[in-house]
Amino acid sequence: MTERPNFPTEHVLDCSRRQFLTRGSSGIGLAALASLLGDEGFAAPNGEPPARSTGGAKLPQFAPRAKRVIYLFQSGGPSQMDLFDYKPRMQAEFDKELPDSVRMGQRITTMTSKQKRFPIVPSLFRFQQHGESGAWLSELLPHTATVADQLCFVKTMVTQAINHDPAVTFLQTGSQIAGRPSIGAWASYGLGSENADLPAFVAMTSRGSGLKIGQPLYDRLWGSGFLPTTHQGVKFRSSDDPVLYLNNPPGVARHVKRAMLDDLAELNRKRLGIVGDPEIATRISQYELAFRMQSSIPELTDSSRESRHVLDLYGPDVQKPGTFASNCLLARRLSERGVRFIQLFHMGWDQHKNLPNAIRGQCRDTDQASAGLLKDLQQRGLLEDTLIVWGGEFGRTTYCQGKLSVASYGRDHHPRCFTIWMAGGGIRPGISWGRTDDFSYNVVADPVEVHDLHATMLHLLGIDHRRLTFRFQGRNHRLTDVHGNVIRPLLA
Amino acid sequence: MRFTLTSSPNSPPVSRILQRTLATTVVGAVALMVTEPALVLASKKKEAVVDFNRDVRPILASHCLQCHGPDAQAREAELRLDTRASAFADRGGYRVVDPGKPQQSELLTRITSDDRDLRMPPPDAPDKEGLSAQQIEVLTRWIRQGAVWAEHWSFVPPTRPSLPAVSEAAWPRNGIDFFVRSRIAREGLEPAPAADRITLLRRVTLGLTGIPPTIAEVDAFMTDDSPDAYEQVVARLLGSPRYGEHMTVAWLDAARYADTSGYQVDWERFMWPWRDWVVDAYNANMPFDQFTIEQLAGDMLPQATLSQQLATGFNRNHRTNDEGGSLDAEFEVEYVVDRVDTTSTVWLGLTAGCARCHDHKYEPISQKEYYRLFAFFNNVPEKGIDGRKGAAVPYLEVLNPRIRAKIAELKSRLQRLRAGLSDVEGNRPEDDSSRTEIASLEASLEKLEPRAVTQVQVMQERPGWRATYLLKRGAYDQPDTSEQLTPALPQIFGELPPDQPSDRLALARWLVSAENPLTARVTVNRLWQHHFGTGLVRTAEDFGSRGERPSHPKLLDWLATELIRLNWDIKAMHRLIVTSATYRQSSHVTPQLLKRDPGNRLLARGPRRRLSAAAIRDQALFASGLLSQKMGGPSVKPYQPAGLWKEISSGSGKTTVDFYVQDQGESLYRRSLYTFWKRTVAPPRMSVFDGTGREMCRVRCELTNTPLQALTLQNDVTFVEAARHLAGRMLTEGGTVASERITYGWRLALGRPPRADELAVLRRTLDRYMSIYRSNYDEALRLLSNGESERDAQLDVAEHAAFVMIAQTLLNLDETITRE
Repeated sequence: MTERPNFPTEHVLDCSRRQFLTRGSSGIGLAALASLLGDEGFAAPNGEPPARSTGGAKLPQFAPRAKRVIYLFQSGGPSQMDLFDYKPRMQAEFDKELPDSVRMGQRITTMTSKQKRFPIVPSLFRFQQHGESGAWLSELLPHTATVADQLCFVKTMVTQAINHDPAVTFLQTGSQIAGRPSIGAWASYGLGSENADLPAFVAMTSRGSGLKIGQPLYDRLWGSGFLPTTHQGVKFRSSDDPVLYLNNPPGVARHVKRAMLDDLAELNRKRLGIVGDPEIATRISQYELAFRMQSSIPELTDSSRESRHVLDLYGPDVQKPGTFASNCLLARRLSERGVRFIQLFHMGWDQHKNLPNAIRGQCRDTDQASAGLLKDLQQRGLLEDTLIVWGGEFGRTTYCQGKLSVASYGRDHHPRCFTIWMAGGGIRPGISWGRTDDFSYNVVADPVEVHDLHATMLHLLGIDHRRLTFRFQGRNHRLTDVHGNVIRPLLA
Repeated sequence: MRFTLTSSPNSPPVSRILQRTLATTVVGAVALMVTEPALVLASKKKEAVVDFNRDVRPILASHCLQCHGPDAQAREAELRLDTRASAFADRGGYRVVDPGKPQQSELLTRITSDDRDLRMPPPDAPDKEGLSAQQIEVLTRWIRQGAVWAEHWSFVPPTRPSLPAVSEAAWPRNGIDFFVRSRIAREGLEPAPAADRITLLRRVTLGLTGIPPTIAEVDAFMTDDSPDAYEQVVARLLGSPRYGEHMTVAWLDAARYADTSGYQVDWERFMWPWRDWVVDAYNANMPFDQFTIEQLAGDMLPQATLSQQLATGFNRNHRTNDEGGSLDAEFEVEYVVDRVDTTSTVWLGLTAGCARCHDHKYEPISQKEYYRLFAFFNNVPEKGIDGRKGAAVPYLEVLNPRIRAKIAELKSRLQRLRAGLSDVEGNRPEDDSSRTEIASLEASLEKLEPRAVTQVQVMQERPGWRATYLLKRGAYDQPDTSEQLTPALPQIFGELPPDQPSDRLALARWLVSAENPLTARVTVNRLWQHHFGTGLVRTAEDFGSRGERPSHPKLLDWLATELIRLNWDIKAMHRLIVTSATYRQSSHVTPQLLKRDPGNRLLARGPRRRLSAAAIRDQALFASGLLSQKMGGPSVKPYQPAGLWKEISSGSGKTTVDFYVQDQGESLYRRSLYTFWKRTVAPPRMSVFDGTGREMCRVRCELTNTPLQALTLQNDVTFVEAARHLAGRMLTEGGTVASERITYGWRLALGRPPRADELAVLRRTLDRYMSIYRSNYDEALRLLSNGESERDAQLDVAEHAAFVMIAQTLLNLDETITRE
């Protein structure tokens, strides 16, 4: 039998603020802690002055509508007019030149800027209205259609970036150029974790079946930028080690590991008694937390005891590790356990050619699982305080890229309008926000910038995006830089 | 009890607004009494003298300069609070700051007003932090005391301060200690006793070389009773090639060095010859002024050598983009921006990048001045979209010694085989095998020969000048073509010498000239940070008005002038720091001192800090006897969890960077600075221990303490294999008695022998491990199978396995991964 090591509690109380970040059982992050202890007076260990994180505000700064976020990021740029943005007038314009009055000489990528023609390509897919809200959705999304009344579609997302790397980086960090913390890292920094035994921010990736060779991802998309690395998203993987280095090496059974950890704790405690550095106490408790994670994470990632009824919600791929459906189920299990920010990435939406086939595959991957996740959260009473966001980094062009035929076409990147949907905690369900022109090319009314989306997401978490800041290189940085407005009509 | 404003006996009648204001501020003062007894005490006795740079400037910088600072676009009411002239100007009957007259100073009227329309900072600006009662008091006191104004401290060239007197004349070992000791005394503290010899030896060995001392080195030092034994150790360490390797790691972080381009597909590139240049430069103790000039402008030196051209790889380490559909013009701007940011952070400790889109909000750098700095770096014959499958232009071709050696070897084998065939005409079976081998050798040579030359990205100048314009809002497509901007320093730094062209070389020379107030300070601060964990200026990247003030301003200036006096001799500066009494203190801390000075900013104890990611791995490999001594060459690929690159790659499978092909043999055990760094998927063993992302320049890293670190250190095969070899050393070199063997391993990892109670802990558990593995031979074999190296078959399997667990314990001890 082994005993739980007896922690030197007086030292734990003294512990570095970095420990609070990962513990935070009260749900208090660094920012909140700094403000609770007084902005000026909070002397952190290592002599670091307070980060002056919140301008003296407490976090959450007002009653949050959502306690956590599940962001279903669709990497590559899903085609808005083939999925959400119904444009019946385009049907009559097949293969006609996109009028200059629509294009307005705006920047297009160098992949199509040398094309001689810009022929309009209407969607191949049928659209229908769904639910009481009458949301128009393409036939590619039959499962999403069943939850249409829960969703808030934003038809008028606008981004500044026209190529993948800057555009995805912009959506995830608020800047096109690498180096800023990701949105999940900000949430972790601001709010901490609700579960002392799990990270506040988890990221998962999956490959799309629509496109085998596509856009890569980068670990900066869940990185912590200039925030302490504790806020970095912990990547959950579909391998034997769901978290890197989680499993004991071959030949080390759990009771052997426990014996080693007991020695380690005892020797570290002895050293703490001599040296007096509270960092050692933190180290002891982090080793214990790591040991607990070795059982809590496999328990978390093991979905074998989910009922058939639940599994069926997510569709046939749910038991294939590493698929979007399997990640969606894991997202629910993580949200049940209080993980603050769950970031999924699904690759394969970059359909420059052969779009109709590729998008069918992508929708098969994601449609049922996304809707299933929403239903599953709802039946557990979690949807009301979980914010779900579904969308990519930009939209796709009205005009065809490459060869156009009746059955096949491609679309280039389009930053001027694209559609995302949100649902859950604090979101007004069953609405469609903003209007685009008849070609789904320009925004006609109510544009939503990326910074606005971020401001709105933080608002739902109870954070004023202007007041969640971190001092780096002499400047108080924030997710929304100097921009961003909360889009209040989207709120319930 | 009265608010300080009214306590002055000579106060003229208080203005109407101020009277109204006082009613509210008095409440503030009451609150202040409760929390700030020291302050009130001070004002009762003798009023503390306000120091503008220490007390006033930070308040103005944080709360006022956004709208009343250098940024002309954002400036309100034509008022600048960053220049004396504007702040003190007569504004038609009143002044914002009226020295000696608080009541007449509009500044105080405004910051204390309860009228929402008058109140500053404006109450409706949520990202502007309001002023506290204490800050208002400081500003009031400052004006009453005559509003003494001073240049921002770091823009005034350092002058050599005289050494302060200390009462304990025996304590100081060199100049550093006079400054530190007098400060400690002022704080009413005592320095810590000297660290014990083994701790000191391990501290300095890890600090200068990144690997721990050997047992022989410990023994030699313990028995050397010559008075300069320690100085001799320091000299030995500074002469070790491990010194240059260790110092290079932080420079790679600053230089955002990596083995891939960093955007999108993230192609492999080959900057390692530049990395080797840095290692060599450190080891040869190249003076820092030369180190600077060669890296920033070596290509422009007269008759630039290959080495000088190679050095300029520094400013081509930035990320390069080749994503389809992107524009050259856009990224050409980003690369120059990166160079300006990196150069100003590393040499000036300035956040110049803020002035890309608008005049700097806090520092005296206008947007136009920013683009004049930009112009120095904007003359490279480069392309915005480049770097697919290799180097982006311009590059230098460097011969790759490893591949050339391999080619020579293959060629001689080929020759031998061919000779063998021609000697005897025939169709013997072995001839067929020779022919097959010849074909395969020829194929290999065909592949290798193009790689014998490595293309290293370097700086070059275009013929003539490429026009630089101010970019409106920093946008690549918004140049203000009304005025072409030539390279020049920001006005605050004066002008470049008129007798030479105003180009990158002139800038590099100015950076290390006596005219520049910053480089020497910024550089010694990073050296200090290297040894103490925290710089004298904690914000090593920001010496501007929003950066932190130095904890020991005079010490910083003394060190800066010392660096110049010693002709920028970096090894001499390391020697100075590590031989000081300050450095040699014990790092043990009492609860009282910890409470008083948790971050050790007063330096009343020695530094105690967790090792860097690189040093943690290198130390484990070294202690176990696995670490390769080989220096330089292409980056190697040690153990990494399978699939890490592939799962988020483009999926093409065609590129060298879509999936990770692990190396074998010696390459698994090279020092961490030689291991491959893919920018978009950073090596997890580095990032988990707070390695920087290598995406942008970083000169400071904050350490965290997380469960993921615990998992990595216990379960990464790198460390398990190291434990296996450490256990092997305990068994083969550590004697025959269990306690001796444990002691031996303990000393390999920690330098010092275990204390009796520590030894007892491991001795007890060893028996348990023994019985576990004795009863489960297969499990023991599994444990001994971790890692690719051969198991020592001479060793008893169960015993070896049991000692692996002891070694694992040793490698995971907090003390092991800490420089105490």
